[in-house]
Amino acid sequence: MSSGKAASVVTRQVRPILSLSHDDSRRRVLALYKAWYRQIPHIVTEFDIPKNTKQCQQKLREEFLKHKDVKDIRVIDMLVIKGQMELKETVTKWKQVGHVMAYWKDSVNKKPDDFLGKFLDGKD
Amino acid sequence: MSSFREDSYLTTGLTGMHVARHPTKTLANTYAKILRTTAKMPDDAAYRKYTEALVRDRAAIVEKAGNDWKMVEKEMNSGQIEELIIQADKELSLARQMLAWKPWEPLVTKPEADQWKWPPPK
Amino acid sequence: MASNILRKLSCSLKNVGLSGPRVCQTLSVAPSALSRCLSSEAAAGAETRPTVRPHDAVAREHLVDFGRYVAECLPKFVQKVQVTGTDELEVLVAPEGIVPVLTFLKDHHNAQFASLADIAGVDVPSRLYRFEIVYNLLSLRFNSRIRVKTYTDELTPIDSVNDVYKAANWYEREIWDMFGVFFADHPDLRRILTDYGFEGHPFRKDFPLSGYVEVRYDDARKRVVVEPLELAQEFRRFELNSPWEQFPNFRDTSVIEDATPTTEKK
Repeated sequence: MSSGKAASVVTRQVRPILSLSHDDSRRRVLALYKAWYRQIPHIVTEFDIPKNTKQCQQKLREEFLKHKDVKDIRVIDMLVIKGQMELKETVTKWKQVGHVMAYWKDSVNKKPDDFLGKFLDGKD
Repeated sequence: MSSFREDSYLTTGLTGMHVARHPTKTLANTYAKILRTTAKMPDDAAYRKYTEALVRDRAAIVEKAGNDWKMVEKEMNSGQIEELIIQADKELSLARQMLAWKPWEPLVTKPEADQWKWPPPK
Repeated sequence: MASNILRKLSCSLKNVGLSGPRVCQTLSVAPSALSRCLSSEAAAGAETRPTVRPHDAVAREHLVDFGRYVAECLPKFVQKVQVTGTDELEVLVAPEGIVPVLTFLKDHHNAQFASLADIAGVDVPSRLYRFEIVYNLLSLRFNSRIRVKTYTDELTPIDSVNDVYKAANWYEREIWDMFGVFFADHPDLRRILTDYGFEGHPFRKDFPLSGYVEVRYDDARKRVVVEPLELAQEFRRFELNSPWEQFPNFRDTSVIEDATPTTEKK
């Protein structure tokens, strides 16, 4: 029963978002990566951020590798679409410095894990 | 006798809708085009049936009225004659698109059993 | 403080079962509010259903007829036609047919729903296609309204109706932003309400009421910073009973009349 149901889920015909095959979606991901990569020098000069090109490239790589295990073509497409929107928001300077710096989460403090740190933090 | 509407009729009173100089002629032409388009649909298509009946009625009114556009407006009771032309143009474009969409075919997708149930299952 | 006393008093009085006028006499604290509450109760007693619009049987019959007409003209796309208990016509269509159905309703002589009043979304996570997209149309020519509904899920794109109604442009952007439904062939699909860099879609049922992040101005960095939300213990009260109306289980759904023509169910 359950296996039959699972099989029907797998064979459900779905409407593609953009890509029809894995090669197609891979091409789109690489294109997006390249587009970001080429824009990074401009982003660094345009925005008054305390990061250099190297650090931005490192962050770009990190953001893409976050989703390296995604296999569903439609999920990849959705991520690519959102990534393109982010890129547009960045290069057209709709984003402000705070929005760009949000990628680094530099104001987020690491939670103390030792006893004294927890005690001084005063939480829990 | 021409269908030309007199120059003294300056405005329709609605923004963006210009006075039609040959309104009845335009209308009759558009109705004929609609009928030519619906003729390409299958005979039992409901859309074809209803649209042809409606457009034939309207075309008959236009024919009967001749150049008397005021009578056309009164008989149709659906706005000024320029508005009637706009409506006919829209119907024409709809009919042409319908040829591609083929809405008379059987249902394309059946809904899931609980899709339109309200309140939804937990 | 005073309101607390008042609430306790009124509670105890209700329990004792004192009559209305005496409550007003014995309470000198804020009689106006109490008496207002009591008087509205009295009015409700006199009129049986004062705030409910009376049914117009003729108008309802017209709606049913028109619903059948739409279903008959477009059997390929219309799944169901129904009239709600408040006399509103709803056409439930397959997602493939949303553009043809809306074009028909806009351009056909007998419909002329030339105005798109709103596009709304509904999230029902228990369904396979969890999102309902709701189009509210208005026909100025016939002074009539109609609602067209279709469905989709997080990953299935739905055709943009921007070519039919220009008003759909921003409405669809709103749906994209709030629910994350992708509209195919939309000319300018991007966020419209949320902040740049915002993650998630706030109107989804699995999005927490408080959100995931909070934003503040950091004086040392001289800019706005985004941080994960941390709620102090005293604010971390998760009330499971929302003050808002959930799916209305108590409402009688049998008033929804199925007006789908039987002939098209072959």
